[in-house]
Amino acid sequence: MNALSWWLLLAVMLFCIGAFGVLARRNVIVVVMCLELMLNAVNIALVATAQFRVGAPGAGTLFSLFIITLAAAEVTVGLAIVIANYRNKRTVQADQYDQLKG
Amino acid sequence: MPGGDFHPWIFFILAFWILVCGLGVVAFKKVMYSAVSMVFCFLGVAFAYAALSAPLVAVVQVLVYVGAISIVVIFAIMLTEVQEGARDQFFNKQTVFAAPLAIAVAAVVSVVLVSGQVLHVGDKALTPGLHQLSALLFNRYVFPFELISLVLVAAMIGAIVLARKEEERS
Repeated sequence: MNALSWWLLLAVMLFCIGAFGVLARRNVIVVVMCLELMLNAVNIALVATAQFRVGAPGAGTLFSLFIITLAAAEVTVGLAIVIANYRNKRTVQADQYDQLKG
Repeated sequence: MPGGDFHPWIFFILAFWILVCGLGVVAFKKVMYSAVSMVFCFLGVAFAYAALSAPLVAVVQVLVYVGAISIVVIFAIMLTEVQEGARDQFFNKQTVFAAPLAIAVAAVVSVVLVSGQVLHVGDKALTPGLHQLSALLFNRYVFPFELISLVLVAAMIGAIVLARKEEERS
């Protein structure tokens, strides 16, 4: 194992924790939080790879900044949907969102 | 050993911190505890960026994640006052499949990484300074930069439209 592998290992572990949360938790807000964990894991991998491998200069830093910005946008829209849905259904449990069921 | 311009133990302390807080997000039954655990996880990730000598990303992480996103999440929790669910309300039915899947993916990628056959660390990349980064952002990466500002405006308008109360149509 080299210097980069340890950081990538951390990123993979965090990603899998987030993925498990997204799949398993019932509360939609917790699902959004676990999505953020997954995005953070990807960012760790990006920054670590940019640090230890020579590539386009600055690409790792700038793309992780782009990801952080997009994550902010995603959280805003996602939680707005959650709140709009809560107004109709009075619940944040994912399995009770069945308005689209035919 | 984990590389970087720091003592290797710092990596292990940070990794422990991040993973424990990440598990806390998934495992806490109360949503507000999950949110606090998430904030600490983000803080740990910010320290990880600092250890990886990416101070700009670390500062932006603290500003956007620890500052803004956490506040939005906590507001959403307070607006939707979650009722105390029973234990069987906590996890979905597909947990039986989700847990082995997550563990399997982690195990496979870990084996690949530990075998060390895939990635070779090249020469140490020289980290660009703030000045160089901003020059890159407004020259080479100006198109994604502008595109993302558009996405942000669209997301802002979308969030307002979605969360606004329906007006009575007369």
